[in-house]
Parts: sequence; structure tokens; C-alpha cells
Amino acid sequence: MEIPYVVTPRKDTGLFNSKIAIWLFLASEVMLFGGFFSAYVFLRLGADYPWPERTLPVLPGLINTFVLIGSSITVVFAWASLKLRNWNHFRIYMGITLFCAALFMVFKGIEYNVKFHHQAVRLDDYTIVEGHLGYEKEGDQYVLDHHGNKVEENMIRIETTGLTFSTVRYHKPWVEELLSQLEHREKNASVKLAEDIDAVVEEGKPAETLAKAGEELSLDLLARIRKAHLKARAHNADLRTDSLREAWKQAKSANPGKRDWQFSSDVDVNVEAIKDQLLTEIPAVSFVVEPAVKFEFKPRDVREAETQSRLRDDTVIDGKLLASPMVFHYVDAIDFRHLAMKAVEKGQDPISAVENSWLVQNHEFARKAWDWNKAQVAKLEARLLEDYGVHKETGLPRREPTAKERYRIDWKDFVAMSDGVDRGKGNIRIKEEFMGPDYKGREEARTFPEHFSLPREQVAFASKFTPAWNTYYALYFTITGLHGLHVIGGALVLAYYLFFGRRMFESNPEWLANRVEIGGLFWHFVDLVWIFVFPIFYLM
Amino acid sequence: MADTPEAVKKSIRTYMLIGAILFVFTVITVAVASFEFLDFGIHGFDWVDAIIGLAIASFKATLVAAVFMHLNHEKKAVYWIFGSGIVFVIGLFALTGLAKWDPIHDPYFFGDEAANTAPAVENAETDG
Repeated sequence: MEIPYVVTPRKDTGLFNSKIAIWLFLASEVMLFGGFFSAYVFLRLGADYPWPERTLPVLPGLINTFVLIGSSITVVFAWASLKLRNWNHFRIYMGITLFCAALFMVFKGIEYNVKFHHQAVRLDDYTIVEGHLGYEKEGDQYVLDHHGNKVEENMIRIETTGLTFSTVRYHKPWVEELLSQLEHREKNASVKLAEDIDAVVEEGKPAETLAKAGEELSLDLLARIRKAHLKARAHNADLRTDSLREAWKQAKSANPGKRDWQFSSDVDVNVEAIKDQLLTEIPAVSFVVEPAVKFEFKPRDVREAETQSRLRDDTVIDGKLLASPMVFHYVDAIDFRHLAMKAVEKGQDPISAVENSWLVQNHEFARKAWDWNKAQVAKLEARLLEDYGVHKETGLPRREPTAKERYRIDWKDFVAMSDGVDRGKGNIRIKEEFMGPDYKGREEARTFPEHFSLPREQVAFASKFTPAWNTYYALYFTITGLHGLHVIGGALVLAYYLFFGRRMFESNPEWLANRVEIGGLFWHFVDLVWIFVFPIFYLM
Repeated sequence: MADTPEAVKKSIRTYMLIGAILFVFTVITVAVASFEFLDFGIHGFDWVDAIIGLAIASFKATLVAAVFMHLNHEKKAVYWIFGSGIVFVIGLFALTGLAKWDPIHDPYFFGDEAANTAPAVENAETDG
């Protein structure tokens, strides 16, 4: 059967099939992206923290914009080539389009990768420090975790004397990690079962010993106990359900004519009757660590406390919390905007709030950088006053430094500071405009001291630049990620036309031209979305 | 729509021209956001810059839609389909506006003047 209207348009709509389909799809896409952009507006207007303006490097974004616009032109040329029945030109233009798509994704990949390795931390007083953490070292060797990855100097250390695992919730990889740390660091120490585990595992039979006190911690042991516990739990739940059902039956026949709620408070499981049939549930199992071992945990996995901490899988760790500083190897920025905003909210002077902040009080370099920044702001204020004057009515300056200029000191400023020049005049290399500071390349100019150690009690919240850090990054990754998926999807469709279109070109070139027009429409739409993404995320 | 080979040949020049305009306006967007002498409104980013930036972006998007996507000479059905999508998006932005400018956030809305003079209560701190 021949499908109608694949080449010739329908009389009533004037459109061929796929054209009406793609426009329906694009209309839904407009609403999808529109939804995310309105979410952006909503979250930005309602943000309770200083919005990170102009926080992404502009140059890669600008190049990506050129790349996408270029590909939009070539895809329309590819379509025109088919209309003119020139297969070779079509191949060239479509090839360039696909190359542009690949280039776009490479830049995006670099940008994402930089974000995933960039650390941010908010201190208790709302000072924000950005940079890169160091890695744990023993002598000259990097410490490796059981996956063979380097370990960031951001671990919670606990001198552990006891561990209690939740039988149902314990997370296998974390137990493996504990066993691995035990093996590599504390060969003499042992983690042994605290007491015998006696349990009734068969109905009506006496209790038997599942595990003896002193048995070493192993995944097998935990699995065995979990199995017994789950069996007992299911068995006991069935017993209780049956008992409750029976109780309801009896209560209903004993209270004829009454409503359920009038006697429901008296209906309950008959505990005495089923007591002997119950199996033993073992919800938790405790181990003793002897001698005490200094275990390390990732901060996001543990809620630490002085004497008893808890992992996210409900494992309880008994033991003293040791000093667990967060150690920055490089600091890229100190940002007091949030602190200043909080001070203003409380009716305090933001400048003295910054000067009394933990960082400025406790860190020589931060103090120096802040003083440099204050001098820069004063210079800028004077220049703006000279250039733009004051309002006639109020007498206030027409233009003033922004919050970012007043309260944020970033790596470019550190460079300018060490170069002995004013803000914005530092010698920044083109590669750094892309990737951020080049520490290896400018060892001599890097000014923030190595191994900046941040006590754990000062850390309020820490994260890489991921969606967890703030709503800006959540939106950035959602919208650019979705856009990136569209680029990949569009490129796959266009690649199909390029690599498998020859036969259709020979048999029905107009049909192929229509297909490429449809693919092209989607591609233009992807470009159109980026036209908004670029200024909104990179420039505003 | 450019259907005949002659019409297609003619429109190629237009596509080149539109491409060039898009490149130029991209540079203008960045320039407006970067240079102080092109900074309208207050110093630094503010709503004037947002409007200028979005106006340029909208202009570029219109060019792409009109010329590259042939919306300047499409069939009626396409305008209805795509237009309805746009209408819903505008509605969505209007909802965002309603949420933001809801008078319930105005301390004077219920005639409670004390709300404005009472010290600000700090939000309970929750960490991630």
C-alpha cells in the first residue's frame, strides 16, 4: 500500500505528513522549554541568595553559539542542495552540520567536566569559598580508595570503637569500603560480633545460635543475618495479620448492629496466642572494633557527631570524631555576597560583617585579599562618580559598584593582585578563559596559599558545582542538559539521512528533501533554544 | 515556500545574509553585556540589561523561525499549531508573574503594618 501525502501536500492543510507532525512536535517542545525557562524566572526572582551572575566562562559559550548558528546555515544549504538534486553538495553541507554538532558537544563536555571537579563550600557565616580540594597523601604516594581512585582531603575521620549495622538497610559497598580500610590501614585491628545472635528460625523449634560472639565482620555474615531477619519479619507479619483478622471476625459477631468505629479500639492482635509461633527478628547487629580504628567516611555519607555518628544507611558508628578539615589545594574565589546580604537583612553593616567573618579573621591571605578588594572598590567608586556624576535630586552617585565587585574576589583578582595591577588588568591567558585558572602554567603568580585548611565545624554546606549547589546550577544542568540531548538526537537523525539517504535520493529525491527539511526544522529549533540559553545563562 | 529550483537558488543568498546578521547580533549581545559604555541602566546587570539581552535574542530567534524555518511563508495550519504552543508558554510565564506579584506577600495587604517594622525572622537553616 502506498502511503499518501509523503511528497505531495494534502489539499486541505497544504502540508505533507511529516511537516504537520514536526510542527506539532515543535509546539510541544516550545511548551517544554518554556516551562523550564519560566521555572528559571520564578527561581531567580525568588532566590534567597545572591544569584551567580556571569559565572560561566563566556568564550566557550560564545563559540558554541557561533557553531550552532553555522550549523543552522549549513543544514538549510544541505536541504537546498537536495532541492537542486546535487548529492555531493548535500554530503558536504550535512557533513559540516554534523561536525558542528560534535564540536558543540565537546565544548559542552569540557564545561560540564570543569564544573564536576570544582568545589564550593558555604561556611557557617555564609562566606563562600570556591576552588579545588587536595588529595590525601601518604609520603609521596596518593592514598587510593578500594576503587583505585584518589581520595579528596575532605574526609570525616572517626576513631571507631563500635559499629551497628541496620540489618535491612546496610549498604554493601560501604561495608566493603570499611573492610578495605581495615585491611589497608589497621592490620592488627579486628571488627568482631559483640554478642551471640540467638534466634528462633523455625516455628516451634528452640532458638539456635546464628552467629557466635567474636565472629569477624564479613558480608556473608551480614547477609546470613539479613536473610534470617527478613524471613522472620515476613512470617511474623503474616501471623499478626491473621490474628488481627480473627479478632475482627470475633468482634463483629460479638457486636451485632454496631458500626466498626464503635468497637474498633478493642480490636487488636492477640499477642499471647501467637507468642510461641513468632520467629526472632534481628533489626540491628553490633560489632566491636578492637583496638579502635581511624575510619574515614565521605562527608555526604555521614552525619557526624562528637561521640556517635550515623551513616546514611543507618549504620551507627560509636567513637570519637577526630579533626576532619576540608583542605583546599587551590582557592579560586572568596565570595562574601551572601554574607553581606544576610548582614543587610539583619540590619547590620555588611562591611564590618565581612571584616568579622571567620575567614578574614583567621586567614592572613584572605585578609590581604579583602583589603586589596576594598581599595579597588574605592577606586571604582571614585571613577564612577567622576564619569557619571550624581543624581540632581538625591545627590547620590548615578552609578555604583555591583555587589559582585564589592564582595567577590576571584582568581583573576588574585592574579591582578600578584601582578600589582588593578582589577581586570591582570594577565589572563586565553586557555584560562576556557578552563579557569591554569595552576601549573602560572605557579609563580598563583597567590592563594597552598593547603588552605577549613575546620569541619565551619562548614555549613559543601558541594561540587552540581545541581546540589544551588538552584542556578540545577537550572543550568537541566536546561543545557536537555538541550544537549536534543543536539545529540537531531544529529543522529541528520546522520541517518547522510549515511543512508543515497538510495532514496536515487529513487525519490523529493521525498528525501522533505525528510531533510523536517530534520532541519528540528535542528533550527535546537539553535533557537540556544539563542535564549546563551544570554540567559552566560551573560545575565 | 521555495519549491522550484530557481526559487531555492534565489533564497540561498537570503540564508547567507541572515546567517551573517545572526553572527553580528551574537557579538552585539556579548558587547552590550561586557563593555561599560554600552551598559544602560545602572552599573552592572539590571532589568534594562535583561530586556536588551532578551530583545536581541528574540530578534535572532524571529529571524531563525521566519527565514530558516520558513515561517514567513507557511501554510495556515502551521501557524495555528505553533501559535497555540506559544500561547500556552505565554500563559505559563503569566502564572509565574502571578506567583511573584501575589499581593499576599505584601505586608500591608492585610493591613498589618507591624509586619514591616518587626525584625526579619531568619529562615531555618537546612543543609543539603
